[in-house]
Formats: sequence, C-alpha cells, structure tokens
Amino acid sequence: MSSNDSRPRCAALTKAGQPCKNDALADAPFCRVHEGVAANAASPAGAEPSPEVLRQELSLELDNLIARVENASSDYRPPPFSPQALLGLLNQNLRRLSPEAAQDLLHRLRGYVNSDLLDLDTWKGIWYIINYALQQQTDTVKRRFSGEYETDDWGMDPEFLSIIQPFLTFMYRRYWRIETSGIENIPADGPALLTPNHSGQLPWDGAMVGTAVYLEHPEQRLVRSLYASWFPTLPFLSSIFVKAGQTLASVENGTRLLEENQLVAVYPEGIKGVGKLYKDRYRLARFGRGGFVRMALRAQAPIIPVSVVGAEETYMSLYKSETIARLIGFPFFPITPTWPLLGLFGFIPVPSKWYIDFGEPIPMAQYGPEAANNLVLVSQLTDQVRNIVQQMIHDRLAQRRSVLFG
Amino acid sequence: MVQPKTVLITGAGGYWGMRLAARLASVPDLHVIGLDTTAPREGVKGLDFVQTDVRNPLLADFLREEKVEAVCHLAFVESNRRSEANFDLNVMGAMKVFGACTAAGVSKIVCRSSTAIYGAHPDNPAFLSEERVPAAKSHTGSVRDWMEIEAFCNGFRSQWPDITLSILRFPSIIGPAADTPMTRFLRSKLTPTLMGFDPLMQLIHEADVVEALWHSLCQDAPGVFNVAAEGVLPLSRLMALGGKPIAAPVFHLAAYWGNPVLGAVGMPVGRVWPIELDYLRYPWVGDLCKMREDLDFTPAYSAVSALREFTARRRLAHYTSDGGKSAQDEELLRDTIERRRRSRQRAVSLDAQGGLEQGEEDLI
Repeated sequence: MSSNDSRPRCAALTKAGQPCKNDALADAPFCRVHEGVAANAASPAGAEPSPEVLRQELSLELDNLIARVENASSDYRPPPFSPQALLGLLNQNLRRLSPEAAQDLLHRLRGYVNSDLLDLDTWKGIWYIINYALQQQTDTVKRRFSGEYETDDWGMDPEFLSIIQPFLTFMYRRYWRIETSGIENIPADGPALLTPNHSGQLPWDGAMVGTAVYLEHPEQRLVRSLYASWFPTLPFLSSIFVKAGQTLASVENGTRLLEENQLVAVYPEGIKGVGKLYKDRYRLARFGRGGFVRMALRAQAPIIPVSVVGAEETYMSLYKSETIARLIGFPFFPITPTWPLLGLFGFIPVPSKWYIDFGEPIPMAQYGPEAANNLVLVSQLTDQVRNIVQQMIHDRLAQRRSVLFG
Repeated sequence: MVQPKTVLITGAGGYWGMRLAARLASVPDLHVIGLDTTAPREGVKGLDFVQTDVRNPLLADFLREEKVEAVCHLAFVESNRRSEANFDLNVMGAMKVFGACTAAGVSKIVCRSSTAIYGAHPDNPAFLSEERVPAAKSHTGSVRDWMEIEAFCNGFRSQWPDITLSILRFPSIIGPAADTPMTRFLRSKLTPTLMGFDPLMQLIHEADVVEALWHSLCQDAPGVFNVAAEGVLPLSRLMALGGKPIAAPVFHLAAYWGNPVLGAVGMPVGRVWPIELDYLRYPWVGDLCKMREDLDFTPAYSAVSALREFTARRRLAHYTSDGGKSAQDEELLRDTIERRRRSRQRAVSLDAQGGLEQGEEDLI
C-alpha cells in the first residue's frame, strides 16, 4: 500500500480518455501498458501528446496503409466518397464490434457531425458534392443533345438501360418479389435461346426475365428479347424496346443475334400467350410455327426452356373484345376488373409473387445446321420444348400455396 | 481489279454524273465520256462531253464507235412526285441504254438505286438482305422508278449473262454539297419527326457514293449490293449528330391524315416532309455482308464521321459570307487555267509538228 503511494501514477490517458490508474514504472512517468505510446510520442516530457501531433501520426499511418493497398493492387480506384456510402459501410461493420465499442464510435461520430456543421470546410464539401452532381447531370444532357453516345447496330443504348434499370429492379425485388432458380443453366458466354411462356396482357414477363438474368447471372448478360411485329407500329413503346436492345421477332434477326453470341429470348406463344383469358391461365398456347427451333438449329445454339409463374395473375382478363380491338387496330383488347373501367389505373398490375425457373439447356449440336429444313424434326423439337415448359410450370404451381405470397 | 479503258457516264450533266466525272478525271489511262442533254454546271476537266439524250436511237452506234467498255448509268431524275416525263427518262431511258449496251458489246454496266425500295415496314428484319423482294408502297416518283428498273434488271441479267450488271443500293446520302432528301431534312428549319418513333437508319457520304460507283466499274461483281457506311444510328442520335438535337414531333396519325389535306389545299407536303412518313417510322436498314465480301468495298466515312463533317461544314457556312462558295470558285478557276494551258501547249506542239492541223481549241 505504502509502496504504491510513494510511486507516481502513470501520466498517460487510457483509450476511453480517463487517466490511467496503473502505477508508473520506476524509471519512467508511464506504466507498462503506456510505455510504448510514450516512446513514440513527440513530447519527450511525457505530457499528454497534443492533438496536432496525434493528427499527424494518424495521417502518416493512413498514408502508409494507402501505399500498402496501392502496392497490393495498383489499378484499384476507390468509389467516390459519399455520406450514404460511409453510413452503409458503418452499418455493415457495426455488429462486428462489441456493443460498448460500437456505442462509443457512434457517439464520437455524432460529436463530429455537430461540430462540423459550424465548420466552413463542411459547407465547402457539400457545395463541392452538389456542384459535382449538377455537372454530371448537365454533361449527360449535353452529350445526349450532341449525339455523342454509343448505340449498337441493333439500336441498343446502354445509357438508356442504366436509366430504366432501377425501376425494373424495384419491380423485380420489391413489387413481385421474384424468386429465380436455375440461373446456372445460362452459359457465361456464347449463344443460347431462352423460351419462356408468355402471359399477362402486357409484356412485363419479358422485362422481368431480362432483369432476372441481369441481376442474378454473374456475367450480367443482356437478354435480347424478340417482340411481335405489332409493337413497331406503336409510338414510344417501339423506340423504348429498340433502345433496350430488343428487336423484331423474325428467324433472320434471331439467327443473326445468336451468331453474334448473344443471349436471345423468344416467346413462342406470341400474342396468343399474352392475350390469354384468366380462366385459361398456365395453359400454354401453340408454340408458333417452330421458327424458334429453326433459329436455334441454324445458329447451333442450345434452347433453355424457362417458366414464369405469377405473371398470369398480374391482369385478370375476363373477356376479349374483338370489336374494339379491330376498331383501334390492336391484336386483342382485354376487359379486366379494372380496365377500361378505371382508366389508367387499370394498368397497375397485381403484386403477385413470381417464380422464374431456368431449365436444363437442350443442345442442338447433334442435329447440325442443315436440320433447320427438316420439318419433322423442327415440329418434334417444338413439341418437346413446349412440354418441358408446361411441366416446369406445373411443378412450380404444385408448390405454390398463394398467388400473392407464394 | 480490271480498270476499263473507256467509260461512258450517262447523266453527266446531273450532280452524281458530274461528281463521278470529276473523280475519274484523276484516273490515269482512262477515257471518260459524258452524255447528257445539258452540259455539267461546272466544267469538269478531262471529260469528253457529248450533248445528246440517252434515249437517242443511235446510242448503240456511238458506243460501238467509241469502243466503250463500261457504262455507268446515272441519268435519273429524283423527285417525290409522280411524273410521266420523269418515268420516261428514268425507266424507259434505262431500258434503252441497257439495250444499246447489249448491241454494242459493252461488258460492264453500273447503276444506282436505293435501299428505300425495300420499303419501311413494321415487320422488316433489322438487316435487309439483297434477296428480299422490294416492297415499297411507293407513292414517290423515284422509288417507284427504281423498283421498275430493278424489276427490268432481273430479267435482263438472265437474258444477257455475259454483261456484268451491278446495281448499288444506297441509303440516305449525306454530304456538304449534295442535295438529297436527308440533307434537306437536316437543313430544314423545323425538323418534323413522328412522335414516339425513333427508327434505325443508315447513311452514306456523297464521296463514298462516287467511290463505290468507280469501285464497282472496275470490279467483276455482278448483282445487287447494299452500299452504306459503317454504323446504324437511331434517328434521334442521327439528328443530334447532324446538328438538329430538337425535333418537332408530330403525332403520327395527325401526320398521316393531315398530309392529304395539306396537299389538297396546295401546301407543298414534300417540302415539309423531305423523307416520306413511313421511312421516319419503321426501319429500312440494309445488310452489308455482301458489300464487304463480294464487292470488296469499304466506305471511307462511317455514319458518325459523315454526320460530323456535315455539321461542321454547315456551322462554318454561317461565318463565311458566301457559304464556302469562294473556295469552290477558286478551285474552278484553277481548273480552267490548267485546261487552257494544256490546250495551248498542245496547239504549240502541233504547230511545231508542221502546223497543218489546227489543234482542237476547246478554249472556254
């Protein structure tokens, strides 16, 4: 006891900011724990290191760390700094810390926020960020107006795709809460022909199959959907489809795309499938005239059967009016509980739960490209693909308990 | 590549005939004869111009006498209106020229056509191959005439397999000097388009048109070829690159129904819509595989670079008071000085030989 009193206490502060309770060593003003810290400190007197010194040390240490990262991977560029990104990062890592440490960290950060609001540099930073965002927006508009952006020979516009992507992702993840299986059946590169069933009055299923592959496939492949020849006659829709990388359904187009090693989706049911009545849901219509099999054979691309379950319930078509359809030049005119009764509100789809299943690829290599002219084989393969898709739909329906919740 | 010794250009007084003649003037060991009812607006050096109508019944004798090996048929009046006079020159003229070629033993005919003859349809595939049957719902004079000529050529080819007949189908032509539907469209003050439609389009630069004609005159490549610049552009991007980022969109049904009304009250519909409505609505893009492989031709300009040049020249025209005319004038005068000097030298050398013959003094 007495010996403890005679020896001075350690002069350093603990990490929590309290004075250290340990006794100092015989030949130094610090305890065993803080001996190293004191040795590094610039103040030889052993007094509390000034904040300026600590800051310099910290920046030196950070510089060293940055240098080490740059050494390890020289081409890495950090994402641009944004408060949201920082908060996200904190969120992810907070639960790895002990509760006390996390609380301490958050309290400190909060302290910075308050004091920083009075700091001129904070406002400079905010101004800089706003300026940067505005600059980027105006640059995009300028570029669009001068035509200095890229489109491919099919009219696909990557910038346009990135604009509509968030909306499609919302519909995919939140609205229809789509569950996808068998994405590994889609090759990482090389051609393949997807043949989903078609349903739901409006081609939402086409957009969602494309989104599914984009979001779930490791290579984020772009699906080139082939659309019916009615769509090019419609204003706005026609140009949106082309900008999204889709093209008219014809054997020439499909074969050419497959030969360019693209991932093509074709909806063999066509308009007959989209315009199905609610009472006929999940009963596949005729699979066209086998044009899709001929493209796959010519390009020697595997056919991947796909089933989409849930899209049939997005709009409940109770009746199809031939007269109105013929009057306005539409291929069909559905009457649903909300359309045309509630006008534009009738376009709001039912938020049913969807399942998209990608089946096993059916290889075409064993037939050879000249088999495209073999009518018997083409119709056999057409029926085979149709049966597989129908079976996949039935398998999924057998598991589904609820239309809205899956 | 076998270069012919004597080439006849019909329609040498027209724009394309004149441009081709000017291009061929720089080719060594080539005799270029131009044929038209009117002389070229701007003198072309080295062109042996003969003033006559292509429908002249003595054309075959002329071809035989001049030992013409290749004919480039460019006597064609473009118009977006039906006209019997134009039909007679365009279609009957082509038949008569082709007939004269068979009688005179000409081995090579090159003819200009357009990808517009495929027609702009909603069910057009993204790339139209040359085998596709032309199906334009042609109201305009030129497209209808080209379809007639090509139909005639199909029969002609099987009847006269010895003659190499090449037809080049060009898309919209663009360039600083040419006056085509596309340049009129991009130069018009209000550029009307169809609201919500953004068809894919092809282009070719005017210099590449001339180059392609000359290339196929030397090439043994019978058949029909789509000839267009690299790159397919959506109309909106084409207009932005062409210096017209803001269009005047018109609801398509209003345009389709309104045009006959405008026409009936005497409004020049063709001036408001230099390009026909369907061609601003649906794609009509030609497949270029055959051009690359069989014709072995590569245009110098891509669609984007052709548009950039067009826009740059049009902007420059605002600053030079005469819209770049003075440079053209200078070029012309330089040619004239050159021509006069050469003919004087020839006269002097003939005098030196004995002075019996008076040199053809084609002084202007």
